Order: sequence, then structure tokens, then C-alpha cells
Amino acid sequence: MTAFRRLATGGRIDRTRRHAFHFDGELCKGFAGDTLASALLAENITLVGRSFKYHRPRGFVSAGVEEPNGLFTIGEEGRTEPNISGTTIELSDGLKARSQNAWPSPAFDMMAVNSLAAPLFQSGFYYKTFMGPTKGSWMFYEPFIRKAAGLGAGTYMADPDRYETRYAFCDVLVIGSGPAGLAATLAAARTGARVALTEQDSELGGSLLSENSEVNELWRTEVIAELESFPNVELKSRTTAQGIYDGNLVALLERRDHLRPQPRKGEARQILVQLRARSIVFATGALERPLVFSNNDRPGVMLASALRTYLNRYAVAPEQRTLIVTNNDTAYGAAFDLAAAGVAVSVADHRSTIAPALLNRAASAGLAIFPGTGIADVEGSKGVVRGRLSGAHAAVVECDAVGMSGGWSPAVHLTSHGGIKPRYDETIAAIVPGDLAAGHFGAGAVMGTFGLASAISLGSAAGINAAAFAGLTRKSKPVAPPAGAEDHSYSILPVWTAPRESKGKAFVDFQNDVTARDIRVAHEEGYHSVEHLKRYTTLGMGTDQGKTSNINALAIMAGLRDVPLADAGTTTFRPPYTGMAMGAIAGRTIGHHFRPHRRSPLHDWHQANGATFLEAGLWMRAWYYDWAGDTPEAAYVKEMELVRKGVGISDVSTLGKIDVRGPDAAEFLNRVYVNGFAKLPVGKARYGVMLNDDGVVLDDGTTTRLTDDHFYMTTTTAQAGEVMSWLEYLLQTQWTDLKVHVTSLTDEWGGMAVSGPKSREALQLAFPGSNLSNENLPYMGCLDIRQDGVRIRLLRLSFSGELAYEVHVAADFTASLWEHILEAAAPLGIKPYGLEALASLRIEKGHVAGLELDHRNTLDDLGLGKMAGKEKAYVGKELRFREKLQAPDRWSLVGLELLEPDRKLRGGAILFAAGEPIKGHGRGYITSVTWSTELGKFIALALYQGGLKHEGEEIICAFPLKDEQVRARIVSPHFIDREGARLHA
Amino acid sequence: MRIPCPHCGERDVSEFRYGGDATKKRPAHGTGDLKAWHDFYFLFDNPKGPHLEYWQHVLGCRQWFRLERNTATNEIGEAS
Amino acid sequence: MLERHSALARATPYRSSILRMGEAREFSLVQVAGFGKAFEKAITPFLGKLPAKVGNALDQHGRTLMRTEPNQFWIVGPENDDIAAKLHTHAAVTPLSHSRTRIVIEGAPARNLLAKGIPLDMHETAFKPGVFAMTGLHHTPVLLHCVGENRFELYAMRTFALSVWEWLTDAALEYGSQIATSL
Repeated sequence: MTAFRRLATGGRIDRTRRHAFHFDGELCKGFAGDTLASALLAENITLVGRSFKYHRPRGFVSAGVEEPNGLFTIGEEGRTEPNISGTTIELSDGLKARSQNAWPSPAFDMMAVNSLAAPLFQSGFYYKTFMGPTKGSWMFYEPFIRKAAGLGAGTYMADPDRYETRYAFCDVLVIGSGPAGLAATLAAARTGARVALTEQDSELGGSLLSENSEVNELWRTEVIAELESFPNVELKSRTTAQGIYDGNLVALLERRDHLRPQPRKGEARQILVQLRARSIVFATGALERPLVFSNNDRPGVMLASALRTYLNRYAVAPEQRTLIVTNNDTAYGAAFDLAAAGVAVSVADHRSTIAPALLNRAASAGLAIFPGTGIADVEGSKGVVRGRLSGAHAAVVECDAVGMSGGWSPAVHLTSHGGIKPRYDETIAAIVPGDLAAGHFGAGAVMGTFGLASAISLGSAAGINAAAFAGLTRKSKPVAPPAGAEDHSYSILPVWTAPRESKGKAFVDFQNDVTARDIRVAHEEGYHSVEHLKRYTTLGMGTDQGKTSNINALAIMAGLRDVPLADAGTTTFRPPYTGMAMGAIAGRTIGHHFRPHRRSPLHDWHQANGATFLEAGLWMRAWYYDWAGDTPEAAYVKEMELVRKGVGISDVSTLGKIDVRGPDAAEFLNRVYVNGFAKLPVGKARYGVMLNDDGVVLDDGTTTRLTDDHFYMTTTTAQAGEVMSWLEYLLQTQWTDLKVHVTSLTDEWGGMAVSGPKSREALQLAFPGSNLSNENLPYMGCLDIRQDGVRIRLLRLSFSGELAYEVHVAADFTASLWEHILEAAAPLGIKPYGLEALASLRIEKGHVAGLELDHRNTLDDLGLGKMAGKEKAYVGKELRFREKLQAPDRWSLVGLELLEPDRKLRGGAILFAAGEPIKGHGRGYITSVTWSTELGKFIALALYQGGLKHEGEEIICAFPLKDEQVRARIVSPHFIDREGARLHA
Repeated sequence: MRIPCPHCGERDVSEFRYGGDATKKRPAHGTGDLKAWHDFYFLFDNPKGPHLEYWQHVLGCRQWFRLERNTATNEIGEAS
Repeated sequence: MLERHSALARATPYRSSILRMGEAREFSLVQVAGFGKAFEKAITPFLGKLPAKVGNALDQHGRTLMRTEPNQFWIVGPENDDIAAKLHTHAAVTPLSHSRTRIVIEGAPARNLLAKGIPLDMHETAFKPGVFAMTGLHHTPVLLHCVGENRFELYAMRTFALSVWEWLTDAALEYGSQIATSL
């Protein structure tokens, strides 16, 4: 019966440092240097979970990242992490691990009844059961199925740990620190290259850590010591290369959580590093694959290499007897080491002919060898009692553990991320990397070369070549291998399918409970392509992504289809190589730091003076002020009244501001605006509209001529960046003959609008030395004045429709000037008004803004067609006159008045003609809504089919989200002061 | 992806904005009929493989340039 | 009297024994731009030798000159610098002193700190004193100038300066700040 024990000596564990941990509430003990898996095995806990669908008892299969079975939920509360493989968790004191998918415990699992209903869960179960006529039943069964099948559950609590991201650069990146990786790193380091070595394990050494060779261990420690002496080398253990992307971008996950269970303030638990390497050496090794036979998922059936790792690295061995089943030479390493540790070892070898040297050594080590023999089945329910052999020696062998080796699969994952298909190499019955991309090099088992001597010599060469590719050609002497290192033979006999005698479930993918029979069913039902096979059976999905199962499945399918394995194809390898915390992907891009905020120079003042903020794009804008009310609805109406009747001041610093200068500045503006700017007099501002090349409105704003060759442009807040890039595009790529410079001044200048019938009076109080009369500063005029030596630009512009000015000043002075105006004009009752009132005032005036300028509307749609110059050329002129853009029934700008006094208009409401069925997209929609203080009712701007041709008609505004319909009348969008008397006052 | 800005050198793609097909000639200002502009603005070859594109080093020197990029592999060529 | 108000006036200061960060005010920033060699020839008498390519900075006559575009320079000088007036007739001169907030970052962890957000090689052999780069930090455009082995001046957009500062102080928490962090 399966049983494991800790040996008194040996291994790489530190017996002086004990770690106590909990597994399913039970207190267990292990040592520093253990993994959760090795510590559990040392405690003889071999049944650690239940399988995904059938709830079969499961134990550890492997000792590494490929682990399909031994998944745990680690940690508590916000630190709960499900589906973590016990083979990769470093044991720490106080660790809390729970088994998954078993209730009440893995040993006694109620859901094991699923095994009896097994036929239900075969390939395509969901499709067959819940598609077609029985589709509705999914609703009923889903909760039961979700509960019965699955992996661990996450938590809804916030993760208290910190995650970060970082950028890094190097000349040569070496991935993997086995003998090939160590040799590559050392060889590259000697050229002077900046080298980074990443290793997912806690220790450097790769396969060397699983061996029991003093001479190799000496080589390993000497090489690492030498590497540590190089200032140009960075050794990064506990760092997994998760993916390779364009331009040799490598995603590295650095794990630091082992260092401190409770990280210090500001210390990241995991860091996702975006590393740019000039060249890469892949030394990612290979993964051993299981054999397919009945009940090969029983706890105690493990990879032969895993038994060797547990023995040599963790001093954990099967109690008495081990059966090794293999089709190649490598499993003998485990057999010899186990025998030396006092375990009785039998070896069933699929091959009839075994190298004499191996047989001689086996004989002297006391191994029982069964050539030409495989394994058909194991007996035992929650562990292994005996193995049933088949073939030349159909014996029954009592054992505590079965170590299987179906050969080795190079870890080609990372080499394939760039889209390079791996290929099948018949000589080693394995998938190996395809032709590597330029700047990519490989060495060791990942390239399909097994053996220490060649790993080191090829690794050394790869390191030198990678450094040369990165431009470092200094001579580097090859790395010397340990004394006596040689390449052992591999001589694999491919074995993919279960022997005929295998009657029970023979698993291919342990994690997803996919059996050889499932693959047969998929084949019978026509799912032949590997991509279809994967999706029909779920094979290769889950946390292990089929690291142990893919090639066996491919081979079985190839056999069923009767095609060579090389022609069967492979599924696509995608990042990440191993599971990772979502937190690491987010890094600090969470909460407050999710995105940057843009703040006006008046932000601090707003904050200190009762403003409520609204996020508009990235900007934090003062929405309304508490002097006017506690809610936006109450406040904006009072703020509007302030502007209509007295004087208010509002922050317009967010407007895009662009300095346009150069001898051709006037010509340039004359081209980009639809209306003329060539003859704009100095000291005058003009409203302008720009189109895209496609004839659709891009943006509007006012531009002022300061001198002959110097203009001050403003854009809408939302389009500022877009307009700036567009102007630069035109000047730098299309009109390179024009001598014009454009510079953004959005951050240099702050701005405020002083609006209302008393605004001139207010500014005159603030700037008593300046002549602000209607003659000296008329509508659309510009005046630069100085106050305390500071230049101030007064522009007589109006967004609200009232007599109004914009006051612009350098950003650092904006707050001080704002306070000065408030103080000077206090006798007039001046107060600040916010974005909501600003935007509402312009609706009354009928000014279009961002909601109407949505990159879909033409000048004519917005009622601005007459602005465009008839004779002059301007951007977008030709395509503006496309037939469809000139169609008379286009949705165009109208005003709406609500006809039902106690109800509301809503932005986004869909418009229908009166009496029309309320269905579909309607004839238009409302873009902007406000309460009109002047008219005492709700008004709106809208786009309506045919536009003002329907002026005076009554329509329906439907708002299906609230199941509302209200009546409104189409009117002119200019609700107030159509003659502009107020503007010119 | 790394993009070689002609003025700042090789930089991370996050510093740039994409600006469209650079193989097509925009009609000179004030020239070209509706068809010429239509063809310029709306008709693209959308090749799989080598392509010439506009990019702007928008977080850097703000210069626009033409860049050779393979649309299938993201292999980057000359910038000018 | 109009007084200046910094974008970081109300920012929480950063304190640490190994890293110094703070706003460095009192400078003037003037952008000059022109066309071709004639422009460069015209401004040289006022400024001295001009940096040859984008990314190079030269300290001359108490000012730092940076070539920020092929035909454009930034002149960083003392707060009351009168260079703008002198160059006015020779180039397109745009005062930008208010548009940028200058943050000094100094100390052994400075490079590691910046590597958390700036996609440039911050290694001391790659980003040396005298070099500057216009790049991105926290999605915003910044100019990073290396002025000493582990001393940097970061020019952030004024309107983004507080966000950039909050990003920096958050990233620098592990170097021993006493301020509290928020999620």
C-alpha cells in the first residue's frame, strides 16, 4: 500500500529549521527547503485531492510545475489563492493549505458518486446534454454541476498584498538554470554582456538538484559562485518566464512571497517584469510524461523523475517497494538512487533489448528487471497496492509506489510563443522547437539533446552566440563540464497507448479527467483536429495546460487517424507558462492609481471652496459648488441664474490651448478651419470649425490673432490631444513646406470664464487700470494686460450667450488671479459656477459641444454649413459633399421643448414621430438636456431625421430603460437671445 | 514591440500612436476631386506582411514618421 | 499681489533616509524653435554650443539646453532668466515655465524606482548624467533628465503633476516613506 517516509539523512532540506503548517486543519511539520508536496509526502499524506469530474482520489504525480493533480487552496481570507500546485509552493512556517473539490475530505468524498455516473461525463458531455432540444435543462442543472465538478474557489475579499510591474533590459536573457542554462550564463557573462538568468525554482541548478552526485554538485556551486562575482550578471531565482512577445519582450513573474508571509509596507509580493532582451537562450529543460494505463491516476503512481527528486532533493522515499515502468533509459536513474536508499526496486521496461551496461549495473544494485514488459493496471483504491504487468512478464508486483516514464517532452512552450510551430522529432519521440527566431538560441533538453556533457557544451556555445548577437564579441572560453560528465543513452521506444489488458480508466489528462477512451469517442464523433479534440474533451486546459498530457493525446489521436504523429499537429502554446495572480498583471494599476487624473491649476481652490468634482475624461472638473446647493440638480439651476442675472466665474482651464506661430501660420489655419482665418485682424478672435479628411466635424473652438504670425488657438477639452496630433501630422508629413510651429499651451495657461450681464463691471473692478469698454474690447476682441507684472489675456468670448470674457493667465498665477477677481467683484455678488451650469447655459444658447461633435456629424447636420468658405479650400471640403452626407433626411440638430410640465427629458432618449410605434432606432436621439431657467421648462438639443424641416411638430421621446415616453416639440436650437444682443452689450 | 524613433532612438511601443497607412498619397491641399479623396481616405490594401505606416512619437519628441512594419509578424524595419 | 501656486502645493511630502524626492521650483523654461541651420546659427551667440541631437543636454552659462525636437530646444534657466526677450526676434519663443512641474529624485534606489514606470533602460551604463529622454510615466508625457549618477530631474505636465507625484510616492513606499498609502 502506498506509503512514504522521510529519510534521516540526505536531501537539500535544512533539518535545523522546522516549519509547522496546516493541511485541511491538521498540524503538519516539515523543513525549510521542502515544498508543500514533499512535506506532505514526508508526513505520508499521499491522497491530497479529488479529481475534476469523477472525484477520484488523487496524489502528486510530479515534483514540479507540470503537476496536474496536487492542487491546493493556499492562505486565508483576502490572501486565499485556489489551484496552486503543492509541488511549486515552498513550505513556510504557518502555511495553510486546503484540499480542493472534495467534501468533507479527500479520503471520504461524497461526490465520489460521480464516478458511478461516469458515462455522463465523457467527451462532449455539455454539448450533448445541454444543446439542442434539452437546452433549457441547463438552467436547472447548472448549480449542481458547478458544485460537483471543478477546482478550487477564489475569494471575493480584497487581496491585501501589493503587486508591482517593472521594466528591465539586458543583452542576454537565459531562461532556466540547469546545466545548459548555467553554462550559457557563464559563457555570456565572460563576454561582458549584461546577462540575466531566470529560474522559476527557489534554487539554481535545474535537473542537478534532483541528482545525487557530489561531483556535479561541486560544479554547480562553483559556477554559481563565479556568476555571483560578475557585476554584469543578474541571477533571478523564483522568477518564471511566462511569455515571449514581439521584439523580445519577455514577461517575467518575480515571486517574493516566500520571503515574508506578511510583507513590509510597500513591499510587493509579486512583480511582473517586462524585460527586453537583445537575445535569449532557452534552457527550459524537458518534462517527463506519464504512461497511459488503467488506474494510472491512483495516488502513488508518479513520474519516475519525481520519485528521484523527492528522494534526492527532499529525502522522501517510498516506504519499501517501488515499481518503475519505463520505455527509456532515464528512469534507471531513479531506480538506482532508490535502490541505494534501501528501497526494493523492480523495473518493467517496455523495451525487449536493454543496454548491457545498464543491465549489469541493475544486477549489481539488486534490481529486478522485466524486459519487454509494460504495466496494464494498478490495484488499490486510495493508493497503490500492486502493479499488474503485461507483455513478456505478466507478473503482479507488490509496491508502495509506481514510477513511470513515457519519455521526455522538451519544454518548448516559450520557444513557440512567437508563433513558431514546434515539430515532431522521431528519433526521440518528442516535440522539439521549430526553427528558432533570430536572436533566439537553445541548449540542453529543450532542444532534444539529453545528457550533461552536451548540455554544458551546447549551453556554453549558445551563451557565446547569444552575446555575439547582442553585439558582445569579446572572446569567452567555453565552460568546462564536471569531471567525468558524459551523455547517458536515452534509447526511447515510443509507447503511447494502454496495453490491451488495461480495462479501467486510463487517464491521459489527469487534471481534466480525460481518458484514452474520451479521445477515442472524440475521434469517432469526428473531432480529429487537435484543436477540436482539445475543446471537445477539455484536454490540455486548466492550470497545467496539458504539460503532461498533450503529446500522449496527440499520439493517441494520430494512431486513431492512422497518420504519422508529425502530421497530427499541435495545439498553440500561449502565455502564461504557469498560473499567476491576477494582481501581478494589474500591478499598481488599481484603485486610486488606475489612471492618472488631470487637474486644473484651480483644483486646490475648488477643493477648499465647496466644489463637488466630476471626472470628465481624465480631468477632475468642478461640477457644482455647495453655495448653490447640495445636489447637482439643485445647484446648477442657481448657478445658471447667477450667470443670466448677475455675474459668475467658471474654470475653463481644461480647454485645449495651442500656440501657432510662424510666417505661414495664417495660411495654415485658413486650411484647417472651414471658415477663413487668413484675414483675421490682429487682436481679434474667431470661432472656427475643423473637419477630418472625411468631411465630418473634428472640433471647434476660437482662435485669436496675437500678431501677424502668431495665433492662440483653443480647442474643446475632449479633443485637445487629437487636434494637436492632427495639426502636427499635417505640418510634419503633408505640408512640410509651411513654416509653422505648434506647441500645446494647455498646461502653461489657466483660464476662467467671467460671464453674465455684470461681467464687464466685475472685470473693471478687478483691473481698474485697463479700459474694458465695448469700444476697446468689443465682442470677439482680445486684450493683453498686465497686473503686478503678470501678463493676462482677456478674450471677449461667450459660451453662455451672455456678455462674457475669458481670462487667461500662466498656470501658477491662475488661482491667485481667480481669488483677486472674486474679491474685487464681490460687491456685484460674483460666485463660482461649475461644469453642469456651464454646459447647461450653452444648451440654452444652442452651442454644440462634445455630445454633438461625436465624429459622426457634418457641418450641415449641426446647422453650421453656412460657415464654410465657398471659394477657399479647407480640409475635408471634398468628402463633405459626398452624396450620403448631403441627404436631406440626415439626422440633424434641433431644439426640443418638453410639453409635459411635471416630467423630464433625458439624454439618450430615442425620438419618434407622434403616433409612430415605439420600436427600433427611431428618428433620432437627444444629445444634451437641461432645465432652462429662462423658459422655466426642460429643453434639449437633439439630432432628428430631417432636422428643422419639422420645426413645430410634436414628437415622442422614448426612454426604454425607464419605460418612459414623454411629448416634446421641435423648436430652434437657439432658445435665447437669437439676435445676439447680449453678446454685444 | 520596439519602435526606432528617427530622433530619439529605439523606444517602447507605448510611447507611440499609430497613424495609418503611409503608402497612400494624400492629394495636395486644394486639389483632387471627390473620387481622389474617396480613394485616398477609404480604400486600403490591408496587406498581410510588410507595410509602411505612419507613427507619431507622441509621448516623446512628438514627431511623425514612416515606419516599415510587418503586419503578420510585427517585425520592424526602417523608420524615416 | 498675484502669487504663484504650485501644482504640488498640497501634495503629501515624501520622506525617506535613502531617497529624496521633492519639487524643485524656481526655474524658467523657454522653448525656442525655428527652421533649419540659419535658426541655429542665429541663436548660438546667445546660448553657446547647441546639443547636437535629440536626447542630449548641455549645461552652459548657467542654463541647461536640451534639443527636444530636430528644430526645437528647451532652455532651462534661473527663474528670472531674460533669455526669452533676447531670442524673440531670432526664433519662435514660447515660455513654458508654468507648463511643467519639476521633481527631483535622488538616492540609491532612484533608478529602481523609475524603472517601475518608465519603459527605458535605467541601468547606469545606459542612462548616464547629461542624457535626457522624453517618455511616458503613468500614461503621461514626461521629460526625464539624468543630472547625476543617482540624481534625476523629472519634468511632468503641470496638470498631471499631482497624479505623477502620487504615483512616485506610492512606488517609493518600499524605500521607507512615512506617508500612508491608499489602494
